[in-house]
Amino acid sequence: MNYLDNAATTFPKPEIVYKTMDTFYRTLGANPGRSGHKMAVAAEKEIEDTRAVVTKLFGIKNSNRFVFTFNATDAINMGIKGLLKSDDHAITTYLEHNAVSRALNGLERRNIITVTKVRNSQDGFIDPDDIKNAITSKTRLIVMAHAPNVLGTIQPIKEIGRIARENNIIFFIDAAQTAGVCEIDVNKDFVDMLAFTGHKGPLGPTGTGGLYVGERANLEPWREGGTGFEPASLSQPEELPYKLESGTPNTVGIAGLRAGVEYILSKGIQAIRKHEQKLIDKLINALKDDRRFILYGTTDISRKVGILSLNIKGFKPAEVGAILDQSFDIAVRPGLHCAPFAHQVLGTFPDGTVRISPGFFNTEADIDQLITALNRIANEKI
Amino acid sequence: MSDRYARQVLFYGIGNKGQKILMEKTAVLVGCGALGCTSANLLVRSGIKCLKIVDRDYIEESNLQRQSLFDEEDISKNLPKAVAAQKKLQKVNSHIQIEAIVADINPSNIETILENANVVIDGTDNFETRFLINDYCVKEEIPWIYGACIGSIGLTMNIVPPKTPCLRCVLDTIPPFGTTETCDTAGIIAPIASMIASIQAAEALKILTGNYDALSKGLLKIDLWRNEIKKLHTDDIREKSDCITCKQHHFEFLSKDRYSMTTSLCGRNAVQILHPNGSKLDLAKLALRLEQVGKVSFNSFLLRLNLDKYELTVFPDGRLIITGTNDAAVAKGLYAKYIGM
Repeated sequence: MNYLDNAATTFPKPEIVYKTMDTFYRTLGANPGRSGHKMAVAAEKEIEDTRAVVTKLFGIKNSNRFVFTFNATDAINMGIKGLLKSDDHAITTYLEHNAVSRALNGLERRNIITVTKVRNSQDGFIDPDDIKNAITSKTRLIVMAHAPNVLGTIQPIKEIGRIARENNIIFFIDAAQTAGVCEIDVNKDFVDMLAFTGHKGPLGPTGTGGLYVGERANLEPWREGGTGFEPASLSQPEELPYKLESGTPNTVGIAGLRAGVEYILSKGIQAIRKHEQKLIDKLINALKDDRRFILYGTTDISRKVGILSLNIKGFKPAEVGAILDQSFDIAVRPGLHCAPFAHQVLGTFPDGTVRISPGFFNTEADIDQLITALNRIANEKI
Repeated sequence: MSDRYARQVLFYGIGNKGQKILMEKTAVLVGCGALGCTSANLLVRSGIKCLKIVDRDYIEESNLQRQSLFDEEDISKNLPKAVAAQKKLQKVNSHIQIEAIVADINPSNIETILENANVVIDGTDNFETRFLINDYCVKEEIPWIYGACIGSIGLTMNIVPPKTPCLRCVLDTIPPFGTTETCDTAGIIAPIASMIASIQAAEALKILTGNYDALSKGLLKIDLWRNEIKKLHTDDIREKSDCITCKQHHFEFLSKDRYSMTTSLCGRNAVQILHPNGSKLDLAKLALRLEQVGKVSFNSFLLRLNLDKYELTVFPDGRLIITGTNDAAVAKGLYAKYIGM
């Protein structure tokens, strides 16, 4: 299968990821930090080694402030629900994934917080001034995607982060689509919290992810329980990362995540990004002047990750997805991509778009095959 | 015993003893269409203990020609078939338990629905559900009565595991999705449904009263237009076959290995149905069949059928996207009605 759905999850993984997980589970599959025997200690070390490696991706200096989660949704919920209190105001955008929109909406619906959604430009960018204008005396949080999953447009996080810092507001980015493919430095970009998932750009397995909790963010744990730390105390430990890491972690997944991140670091994030840019650029150039296709968001590849949302006139995205799958053996993601508001502002609600997202292991031949397929479908307008 | 069942008790095959046994028994009817309406009516009047009526559909005007329990008022109230049937039949016999289950019977819920059944009556409109019922009934050794109608032709067969051949002994593979005619494409006359359902009800009475020797053997085929009655003898089929279901005990539909996958698509109001084995549909042929049903357009990649509330997009591998609903049961109902599964 020509797999072009890497924004949903990257596939395949580097061979080393499969091997590491297999070896880890066969030799070190103990519960970390609980028993004190050799295997448990080794499992614990694996987790701490991974923590040290993953923090490099984001320029995090104190690795204790990096908490393992099960995915980005888990991390976003932990961040939003752990931070916001009654009467707080949060700023977000229309481009967000439901992981952000629903977590905020849940609190808003229960009259705990108020939320302002900031609009984006036609080509998919948030203007920092619009964020600034939405700030009120109660604003405690600005939460947004680094690159929203429908358009892949890279947002000016540094400018927005600076505004947040100047106004003593917590700046929280959802790096689900950028971790592992874009350079991120939480310090230089004024990021207070960052959520990511392990199974996309970091090339790790599903069930892994993390949350960076900067010095300015004090979170209440939303999941309490066994940490292997201060077991005699009834209350959750105050110390990070234990405060937010209860329950047996996904150790085998975390081992795989380390292998994935090490692979990325060995190839270089810039090299990965260049490769994806080259592929998406080829696709954009083949389609952008053809009136049978509608492309969404900017076509300036220096301002987006390897994601292109499009439609073929006369076809529903779900139809295009099904045809690509069964007649051409190409995997893409049609629909709303769990981001209904983004499609509303794009005018593609309720059917959505066809999202194409090549990854590091795709080739130019894969894109050529896709271009041929899209043309053949567009030729058979009914 | 009250007068209600006096004439049935007088009948030599039932008697007082048979009636008492009957009043302890539960029948489950899967599908309350043309066949189901008739068999439900007959069984409720016979005085069984409990009838469960399972159906996922709502009544439409085109049902009234043959589905004898429903009327125009039911349509105006937008009642599910199972509920309308329950209400009507409870008026006929308030002494028995009648349960309406508005659901699509599938591998996840079939055990809950059929667990106390002493007999299962087939009133379905598709092979997939029949093969699922066959799996469960063979596994649990519950007798079930196959029934099917189209045009003027009807078929019925008793399946009494482990004694008789099962449905898969007779019909090894499910016909590929989209290749079978349905009542909504080829039509049906009401009398054949009444006839087959009456036979099913009679066979159910025999099963429930323990009169196994009296059961009809083999596959019965009746064509009321050509005036033909045929019987396919199936006596030695089970002995000869190495049936995957009743001999090897691989329950491929119950385990979902060969059961269709229904996915609510990411996007509003659309459901995709995918058959694990795939199909190879001739879209031009299918278009011809569906011409009477609604507006049809197609190319080499897909066929679109526009109905009032729904749009069905069929792909050559038998995959179907139904736009206009989020409900998997509604989607499967439409598939069975118009495309055939």
